[in-house]
Order: sequence, then C-alpha cells, then structure tokens
Amino acid sequence: MMDKQYEVKKSSPVGKTLSYIGLAFWTLVNLFPIYWMFTFSLKDNDEIFGQNVAGLPRNWLWSNYSDAMRVGHMPVYFANSIIVAAATILITLIAALMATYAITRMVWKFSASMNAFFMMGLTIPIHASIVPIYVTLSRIHMLNSYWALIVPYSAFALAMAILICSGFMGEIPKDLDEAARIDGCGVWRTFVLIICPLMRPALATIGIYTFLQCWNELMFANIFISKDALKTLPVGIQALSGQYTTNWGPIGAALVIATFPTLLVYVFFSKKIQESFIAGAVKG
Amino acid sequence: MKQKKIINTLNIIAFLLPGLILFIVVLIAPIALSGYYSFFDWNGFGAKTFIGLDNYKELFTSSAIGFLKALRNSLLLAALSVFLQLPLSLGLALLLGKGIKGERAFLSVYFMPVLISTVVIGQLWLKIYNPSYGILNVALTKLGLESLTRTWLGDVKVALGACFVPTLWQYVGYHMLLMYAGVKGVSPELREAAMIDGATSWQVSRYIVIPVIKPIIKVSVIFAVTGSLKSFDLIYVLTNGGPLHATEVPSTLMINMLFLRNRYGMGSTIAVMLIFLCFAFALLINRAFKEER
Amino acid sequence: MKRKVLATLLAGVMALSLAACGGSDAGSSAPASTDSGSSASTTTTTDTTATTSTDTSATATGGDQINLEMWCIATESDSNRHSYEAAIADVTAAHPEINFTWEAIENQAYKTKIKAAVAADEMPDIFFTWSCAFLGEFVDAGRVYCLDDSIANFQYKDELPEVMLGNTTYGGKHYGVPLTMNIVGLFANMDILAEVGYTEVPGSYDEFIACCDKLVEAGYIPFGCAGKETWCVTEYLESVIEKSCGADVLNDIFLGRATWNNADVASAVDTFQGMVNKGYFDPDGIALSNDEVKANFMQGKYAFYMNGTWNCADFAASDFGSKVKVSEFPVINADKAKLGQLIGGPSDTLAVAASSPNAEAAAQFTLELGRLICHYGYLDGCGLPAWTPYGDTSSVNPLTQTVSEICANADSYVLFGDTAMNADDANTYLSYVDQVYGCQIDGNGFVSGLAADIR
Repeated sequence: MMDKQYEVKKSSPVGKTLSYIGLAFWTLVNLFPIYWMFTFSLKDNDEIFGQNVAGLPRNWLWSNYSDAMRVGHMPVYFANSIIVAAATILITLIAALMATYAITRMVWKFSASMNAFFMMGLTIPIHASIVPIYVTLSRIHMLNSYWALIVPYSAFALAMAILICSGFMGEIPKDLDEAARIDGCGVWRTFVLIICPLMRPALATIGIYTFLQCWNELMFANIFISKDALKTLPVGIQALSGQYTTNWGPIGAALVIATFPTLLVYVFFSKKIQESFIAGAVKG
Repeated sequence: MKQKKIINTLNIIAFLLPGLILFIVVLIAPIALSGYYSFFDWNGFGAKTFIGLDNYKELFTSSAIGFLKALRNSLLLAALSVFLQLPLSLGLALLLGKGIKGERAFLSVYFMPVLISTVVIGQLWLKIYNPSYGILNVALTKLGLESLTRTWLGDVKVALGACFVPTLWQYVGYHMLLMYAGVKGVSPELREAAMIDGATSWQVSRYIVIPVIKPIIKVSVIFAVTGSLKSFDLIYVLTNGGPLHATEVPSTLMINMLFLRNRYGMGSTIAVMLIFLCFAFALLINRAFKEER
Repeated sequence: MKRKVLATLLAGVMALSLAACGGSDAGSSAPASTDSGSSASTTTTTDTTATTSTDTSATATGGDQINLEMWCIATESDSNRHSYEAAIADVTAAHPEINFTWEAIENQAYKTKIKAAVAADEMPDIFFTWSCAFLGEFVDAGRVYCLDDSIANFQYKDELPEVMLGNTTYGGKHYGVPLTMNIVGLFANMDILAEVGYTEVPGSYDEFIACCDKLVEAGYIPFGCAGKETWCVTEYLESVIEKSCGADVLNDIFLGRATWNNADVASAVDTFQGMVNKGYFDPDGIALSNDEVKANFMQGKYAFYMNGTWNCADFAASDFGSKVKVSEFPVINADKAKLGQLIGGPSDTLAVAASSPNAEAAAQFTLELGRLICHYGYLDGCGLPAWTPYGDTSSVNPLTQTVSEICANADSYVLFGDTAMNADDANTYLSYVDQVYGCQIDGNGFVSGLAADIR
C-alpha cells in the first residue's frame, strides 16, 4: 500500500501528460466557438453553408460589419450597454459603500439583522419582480429610459456588492476610525476621506461582479425598452437576429462587435480582472 | 450625550438610506405586490377579480400550464450544474492550483466565456446547433458519425441537454476561478508536509484542499442551483421553452403567461413560487453543508 | 379581365358573412369616448427621447405641429416593408403639420410589446394589430379609439367596404382600419413536382397524397413547416380540418359557439398526423423559424409550403417566382367540405390609441395611411386589398392574381384560429397544436384536451 502510493507520486509524468491533454482539450472547447464566430462573421452564406465551414474566410467580407453597424445599429446598442453598466456600477458602489459602513462600522442594535436583510437579495431572482416594477415604471412614465434599467440593476447588484464590501472593510483596522474621530473628524469626513480611499481595491471587484450581472440582462431590457435608440446589446442582438434569420454573416459580425471589445479589455487586464474577481470570492 | 445618540442614529439612517430605498422600492415592495397580484385573475389592463388561491391550485394541477414540468426541467438543470459543471470546475481548479506550467494562460482562456454576453452565447450556439449548416452536425458528418447528427434543439429528448451545454461552457470558468482562489489559499507548507508523509496528489486534494475550500464550494453550489432555477436568457434565445415544453423553465413560463396570455395574476403566482424555491434551496444547501461539517 | 376578377372577388366577399368577432365580450361600448384630454400631457412628456425630435418647434408654434408615433411589424425583412414606406412617404408629404415617427418590431416580440404597452397605457398613437380577439381585448379594456365618426368623415370612405370591417367591429362600433386580407395558400415548387411527373398541382386529395408519396419515394421532402413558430403549423392543420369538416364547424369552434369535442375534428387531426408520420414534413423544421423554412423552400428544399398569401410578393420578386404556383388545399371529405372554403380574412389592421392626445387627427391620418398601405401592398403582392383598389393594377404579380381568383370563388372564410381566439385560449390552442405536430397526442387527445382546457 505504502509502496503503491509512493509509486503513484513518482509516476507523475503520465499524470502530467494526461492533465495537459485535458487542459488543452478544454482550451480548444473554449476557443473554438469564438474562433468560428469570428470566421463566419466574415463569410457569405455560400461559404458558411458548405464550401468552407470551419476554415478562415476566403474573401474577407467586411460588408457584414457595415451591415451590422448600419442596419443593426450595433454602436448605439454598445454605447447604451456601457452607459447602463457604468451608471449601475456607480450607483451600486455608492449605495453599497454607505450601507456597509453603517452596518460594519457603526454601533447599533440591528446591524446584524440589517445585514441579513440585505443578503436576501442574493437569492431573490430578478425576474420575480418584473410585473410590479413594470406596472410602476409605466405609471410614473419611466419606461423607455436608461433609469428603467439602471435602478433595478443597481438594486439587484446591491446584495453582492455589500457582501464584497464587508469583506474589504473588515480588513481596515477600526483604530483608524477612532484616530480620525479623536482628531475631530466627523463620521462623514471619516467615511469620505479615510475609508473610501482605502476601499479602492474593492471598487474593481464590485465593478466586475456588477458588470457581469447587468451586461447580460435580457428580460428587463427586453420588456422595459422599446425604442431603438435606447436598446442594450442583448436586446439589439435579439432584434437583429430576427431580421437576419437566414443571413448569418451580419449576425456573426454583430456578435463579434458585441464581444471583442470586452475580450480585448480582458486580454490587456486579465491579471487584474482575475485578481479582482478572486478577491470577491475570498473576501465574500 | 443624548443629542450625540440622536445624531448617531440620524447618521446611521442617512448612510443606509440610498441602499435601503433601492432595496425596498425595487425588491421588497414588488415582491409584496407580486404576492398580492397572485390572488387575482387579471389580464394586466382590465379589472382584477379576486380568486383566492385558485391560481396556485391551477398552477400545480393544470397540465395545460405544465408548471411541474417546467420545475422538473429547472431542477434537472440544477442537478446537471451541480454534478457535472461544478466537478469539472473543481477539477480544473485543482489542476491549475497545483502550480502547473502555463497556469496563467489556461486560467485566462477558461475565464473568457464568462465575459461574453449570454445572448451572444445563445445566438452563437443557435448557429452551432443549426440542423443543416451548424458546425456540430457538419463535424459529426465529416467524422463519419452521421448517425449521431440530429436536430439538437428540436428533439424533445436532447433539447434540454443541448440547452445545458452552453451554460456549462459559459460558467465553468466562473466557478473554476472562484475555486482556484480557494485552492491557492491552501498554504504550500501544509501541502508539502502531506506529500512528505506520502500522500498522493489526489489524497492531498481530497483530504486537505477540498475541506479548506468547502465554503467556496458551498457558494458555488448555491449560485449554480439558484441560477438554474431562475435561468432565462439562454433558454429564451435558444428555444423559448420549446419543442413541446421540453425546455420550459419557470421563467419562460412566467413571461409566456404575462405577455402572451395576458395572465398577470398567474405570472405573479409563478414569480412568488420562484422566490420561494430559491430561498428554500439556499437554506437547504446551507443546512446540508453544515451537517456535513 | 383583372378588373372583372376583382369585382367578382369583392362581390363574393361581401356576400359572405365573414366570421364577425362580435363574440368577444360585447360590453365594449363605453371606451368610444375615453377622454383624450386627461392623458394628453403625459404621453407627450414621456417621449423625451423621440428619434426625430421636433418637440420644441411643436410647442413653439403653439400646437400647430402634431406628433404622431406608430408601431408596426413591417421590419426590413418583412414583405410589407415597401408598402409602409411608400404610404408613409405619401401621407407625411401631404401633412406637413404632422411629425410622424414610426418603429417596426419583429412579429413575435411585437406581440409582447404591444400588450405590455396596453397594460401600461403607454401605447403609441397608432399601432398595428391583428383583428378579432387580439384587438378585442384592447377594446374591452377601453384603450382603443372608436373610429365611427372618423370613418364617416373620411373622404375615401366609399372605398372601404363595410364587410371588411367585420373583424374589427365590437358592439357595433368600428375600431380598426384594415390593410390587406390574406388567406392560406398551398405554394408548390413546380420544378420538383415535374421530377415526379406532375405538371399541375393535384386537384383531388387522393392524387395529392399519391404525389406526396412519390415525392418521398424520390427523396424529396413534400412540406416545409416551421415548428419553432406554431402558427406555421396551424396553417397546415387548420386547412386539413376545414377541408375535412367544413368551414362552419371550424368557425363555430373558433368563436366559442361549439365545443371542441367533435369526432370529425379528431379524425381530421389524425389525418394531419398521418402526414407527419409518413415523413411528409421536414424533420429539421421543428427547430427552424419561418424565415428559415421559407428560405429553404425558395432554395428548392421542399415541394410544398403552406403559408399566408402575403408570401406571393417575395416569391414573385425573386427568380423563384417562375417555378412556383399557388392553389388551395384539396377537399378531403367532399360530404362536409368543398372548394372555396378558405382559411384567412382581413386581419392586418391599424388602430388608434384612446390615450392619444390627438386621437382624431391620428384617426384621419391612419385612415389615409391604411388606404395607401393597402394600395401599395396590393401592387407589391403582399395580399389582397381590403380597400377597393384604384389606379392601374395590371402590374400585380401573377401569384397574387391567382389568389384573387381563388378568393373570387370563395365559399366561406375561417379566420386564423390564434387570431380568432383570445390570448389565453389561443396559446392553449397553439400548445395543443404543438403536441399534435410532435405526435405526443392524437386527434382524440387534441379535442378532449382543448374541450377541457379552453376557459
């Protein structure tokens, strides 16, 4: 028994090769669909449908991209998604920082139950509130505005943000607050001048989690926004695919336009993004 | 002194206010309203008729609505996530966490799909699955496995599985990175000590690493299960619940009730059930992990 | 010749009692005069992001300018796109005082969107709708502007036959401007039929089935049908039921005057399912959308394609036009049904929101627009005109002319089932149609299930 274990430990080359084969396979699985999407975005139907299914395009058909931009309004949708995501992240950050400060740094009776109250948001499905939100938004005539998305997205991102914030804030020594108070700093000044700057690492983490949440959202965006000028990427792509059901090229181009900028940012900052993401897991 | 206390209370309230307003206005109040609507027969624009628990009764008994089937489908998705997706993520995390050459590059590639919008992924897989021109069937044909080709999203038997694969593709990286963080958190000394004692790398993983990252696994399980219960985007894009409700999940059913059948009361009832289920499963998973410890 | 066909067509239609939808809760008399004043300010203020914003000039000139917004389904890939564009260009040119903006939304998404807008009372001034139950629910909720006075004041009212308004008349009042009318046509790719030795579409059911069998034997797929969009399945199923049981039976069932529990219907459903089981339908079709199936048909993948006659325009406009013929589905049971019993009728409609601050102006605008969309749509071959055609119509494509002839000999029409029924019932119906197409239930299961589940 002992010997065998010793052997297994020694015979790692085989295991290592196997691991690499597995990892390489999964890399292929991850990259191939993205590669394929890129190639068919530059082909016409004849190539996609038979002559050249998986290879690089023979004629690089950039007109697919101009179609997606012009007919598909992809730049508008992309900008809308960015606006909504940025505003959501900002609001979530402010609300989460403040709430976390009150929960973890101020002494009061119900801080723990308040925290638990916010944590309910982690499990509540965003879809469950669609009817009342829809009815309310329509009554106050807020449908078809960025706010119709920003406010709900912020609210649903809040729980996660508070969770992450608590982790980060817990690492800031409490002595700092006390020192500040002795120096005559009020609560607000302590919060703005001392705590907030120290929370900078948390911002990236919260930003990433919030971004992932609102970048993907389809149901609210689909129902609350009907004006072309305000549509976000997911809705825009859905609409475009309805127009080009049989012409794959422009759809592929739209998918690439929707994907590659994010991936490009990721390629440059992958380490930072991963670290911030990981920080959320460890702290939260 | 008393004044100070009042100021303190006011400050607490002020700090909580933005978060609380958002939370109550967008989450709590609407859920209460959904609960209220669920007792009515209402088409969204006409008069509401109070019908008590009839919506709930109909939801669970009517085969025309098929809520139980939708529920079963989403539970199946949850099971697949927990027993297929998470082990895969864990395996990758353990492999990469050991410190292997190219660790960083693998990590970066595996996380990539997480950053792609679900609708894009859905549209992409729609093309991959296309019965005549999709890369999947074309590849199978080229490999001489013609018998395996099928209408992936149109075949009642395989449609749900076909809808699961893109989810797997998208989220394996997500869970892997979470777990990887945990694996990296295990102190190298502990690992080495175990290896010196003659433990295989499998044993190290099983008895040292996994117990340490259990809290992260728990979070992953909760996310995977509640995520499956509320899955919508991908299914909506791929099949919208078809063929023959084979991929119907509660969320698609809810949207169908609300905006195709004009049954706001019934839609709200499904919303209430969704919240209830998500909470119940979160509690259940918490309990399960506690007992094991 | 053409004129004559049209004259007979219209005469024929008038003589028929188009299945009137009065059945939908007749308590819809009140909404006629829903005051437009109270909600006036709200509608204009919400559209802060209107695409072409001349809002400022509108207020500056003291209300002379009127903003009108329209939603429709004429997306760029829709056959009706051109007729909308042409009509809008004409009408807006004639009305410089109106700032007109319009938006086209894909069919399926539009249904969700317009219902949501009605629920929220956030409708555009003018909106596209299907007739009968679809519009009826909105009328019941008091959200639709009554057009009785507007029609009476309209200068071309004589071109709008009363019978064409039947599907949008509720409680004796008119709520819709009809555009085109369409029926289900059996389109055949004559090149493929020639391969198995046919130069004409078989006229009798037995010959038709024999032809399908030959096609299957020769390796062709007889029917293309988009299973992903159930209404495409109903185009086949409803025709089979009608040609087995007769138009009256189906009409009574659709309009709630008779029970679904009907043995003839059950056996007709079995007939349809028999076709599915014999491999007449493309098995891939179940995961395809209608646009994909239509493209497949035009590429010669199927011999037949049963769908609305609005397709005539697209077929005629392409090279494919020379290969295709349109006819009506053959009679299956001659004791109960006969040729000339068709599925279809005026369904595409424009309506005006009661909440519109300029409802009457919108109504006049809509009537003019509807008349022109109909005019251009007919010239394009997107369907038969609901308004009496004017001008030179000799350029209408031969397929649409054939459809005119079919309609000229019409015996009776049954409106599309999912248009005739209210939203909830229609979706129950569609879900059962799905199950039939997927062979999960047989004819008996279909009728007994529907009899139990239709509320």
